[in-house]
Amino acid sequence: MITHHTILGVATILYLALFFLHVLYFATKKKGIVPVAWYCLCATFVIQTAGIGMRWVESYRLGIGHVPLSNYYESLIFFSWSISVLVIIMRRRLAYPVITFAAAVISLVLMAYASLAPGVDKGIQPLIPALQSNWLHVHVITCFMAYAAFVVSFICGGLFFFGSGKVVPPADTLDDINYRSIIIGFSMLTSGILTGAVWAHYAWGSYWSWDPKETWSLITWIVYALVLHLRMTGGWRGRKTAILSIMGFASVVMTYFGVNFLLAGLHSYAT
Amino acid sequence: MTAIRSNNGKESEPAVRPGSIFRFLTSVRLAIVVLSLIAATSVLGSVIKQGGTEEEYLALYPEKTYHFLKLFGLDDAYHSPWFYFLLGVFALNLVLCTLQRIKRLTREKGAGKKSVPDVKALAAGGSGFTVPAGSREEIFRRLGGSYRKKPISDTAILYEKGSLSRYGVIVIHTSVLLILLGGLMGLLGGQKGFIVLHAGEETNRAMSRSRSQPAIPLGFTVRCKDFRVSFYPGGEPKEYASEIEIADAAGKVVKEGRIRVNEPLAYGGVRLYQSTYGMSNLFTFVVDGKRIVLGEQEVASAGKAPFMVARYAAEVHNFGPGVMVAYMDGQEPKTIWFLSKVEKMKTHMIEGSRVTLEKIDGKYYTGLEVARDPGVPVVLTGFGLMLLGLYITFFTFHRRIYVVDEGDRIIVAGTAPRNKEGFLEELKKLAEGLA
Repeated sequence: MITHHTILGVATILYLALFFLHVLYFATKKKGIVPVAWYCLCATFVIQTAGIGMRWVESYRLGIGHVPLSNYYESLIFFSWSISVLVIIMRRRLAYPVITFAAAVISLVLMAYASLAPGVDKGIQPLIPALQSNWLHVHVITCFMAYAAFVVSFICGGLFFFGSGKVVPPADTLDDINYRSIIIGFSMLTSGILTGAVWAHYAWGSYWSWDPKETWSLITWIVYALVLHLRMTGGWRGRKTAILSIMGFASVVMTYFGVNFLLAGLHSYAT
Repeated sequence: MTAIRSNNGKESEPAVRPGSIFRFLTSVRLAIVVLSLIAATSVLGSVIKQGGTEEEYLALYPEKTYHFLKLFGLDDAYHSPWFYFLLGVFALNLVLCTLQRIKRLTREKGAGKKSVPDVKALAAGGSGFTVPAGSREEIFRRLGGSYRKKPISDTAILYEKGSLSRYGVIVIHTSVLLILLGGLMGLLGGQKGFIVLHAGEETNRAMSRSRSQPAIPLGFTVRCKDFRVSFYPGGEPKEYASEIEIADAAGKVVKEGRIRVNEPLAYGGVRLYQSTYGMSNLFTFVVDGKRIVLGEQEVASAGKAPFMVARYAAEVHNFGPGVMVAYMDGQEPKTIWFLSKVEKMKTHMIEGSRVTLEKIDGKYYTGLEVARDPGVPVVLTGFGLMLLGLYITFFTFHRRIYVVDEGDRIIVAGTAPRNKEGFLEELKKLAEGLA
């Protein structure tokens, strides 16, 4: 029987195909591969969306229906989906195969980790009362769109150090994409933190409790606020921005993964 | 725009001038240092255990480390004096920065509206173009759609768009200040407590989270009319809710409602939140013909001698549920088991009183979080303002396009302080297809 696990498995294989298509392009430099890779990305995205949709429908068949954004496995799948959404939305700006390639690799790693790691529970679990709220959707979506934008910023920051050439776009372009991703990410992260705070106000009776996840999202917020201020008032560009965006992403990784494994707190259902 | 650089330049000057302290307090550099310190404190606070007892710390760290943490308030970093000091400096810096920005903007407001910059130089630098005079009407038509038109002279017209964008940063900074203010209001005027009630019970005070502090009087009575919990087939709780009635000091019911997780009940500035639930047992005894209900560890003084419910067991030697009762036989403490399912073991004589265990009821209790926070409306306003400010700062941008008539040709050129790349694209589109 075809379940959502089958469909998400197909999506993972397509991310792998996307990886090899790009490798083929870098090796042969045949221009014809680029549109093929683009259609492959769109197909991957459609199938992944279908997989997430099926998991949603299946949860209703189990009598515990809820949007699949409630545990660690579901968040990993959604994280990889968010990266693809952003790459598709920013298609015009990100029209460089090396950026699509890096994004696809990160999506692939997230999908593979979600389905292969023994510690990740892949089952559909019922929604605990604290998560039964409409704030769940908007909070999780804004947070993961922020993470996805910071992934793009991190890719640009990292590529900066490879030196522009045939594959890597010029430094100015990387800097421009980096800045655009950071303003999207920063706005989304702010929305995520604020919706989370409003939700916490209704669920726990306190809009801010210095829970590790809250604290680390604030730290990430401060890091990117500093990046923006240094850029606008100090004129920081290029290399400095690249280093800062890599540091910012380290803070994102700590917020998403680190807190779950290293620090205990109110968000512990996400592990 | 170059606050950091200009500050760097001023470092060589003597630092004791009265103006220099003010300049330091208004600098972006101070903001960057203070924000970094706040972030660093937050890192420490998330790694070091917060608000634990002395025993908990000594189990985790060596004694010297514990004294060090205690000395610098790192066991409660977010409420330590120096963290408040950092927040205070940050707020002051933000106020001064924002005031200065407002001052600068009002000064700049008139400029650029009255005089025309060197459009030839702008066009030569790439942010403009020159077209024959015949394209005049087409350019006006293309700009007229979304730009505001402001004639400067007979030959020059200014087209402006997104001028609100310059105020976005002020809106964001104000929103941060509002959130800090709301936090301060909550800190000074807020209270938190906890209530535990069985269905049918009532209270007019809430327990403090820390045991050392006294109970908080509520000023009204909270009555739990009913508590229900439902489970998923797997046994996980699906929903729990309390039916609550609030009575004022005179005993009149002023509010009724259902409290669920995520759905608190508000009365008189106080909110009640469904926090936890649990189960405890109630024991109904008949003492010399008088019926009394006891909870665990409760003492009955209805009979000739007091006795206490010491321990409950769901199964006593396969005889079903039972309860151990403790009493004093003269100077000697004694215990005796009452078994609710065994007729002979239901009744005992305690110091001359006839005590019968009538029934044992497992009963849920509800745990309600009680919070009063006068800062919440201010904080929520700050949230809304912050989202608005982010939108106008990052998703609209200010640009000015000057259209200068030079007889046989027209120079179109403009400036955009931010998003130069986007502006150049826009100019390219504007020039498209013009002869």
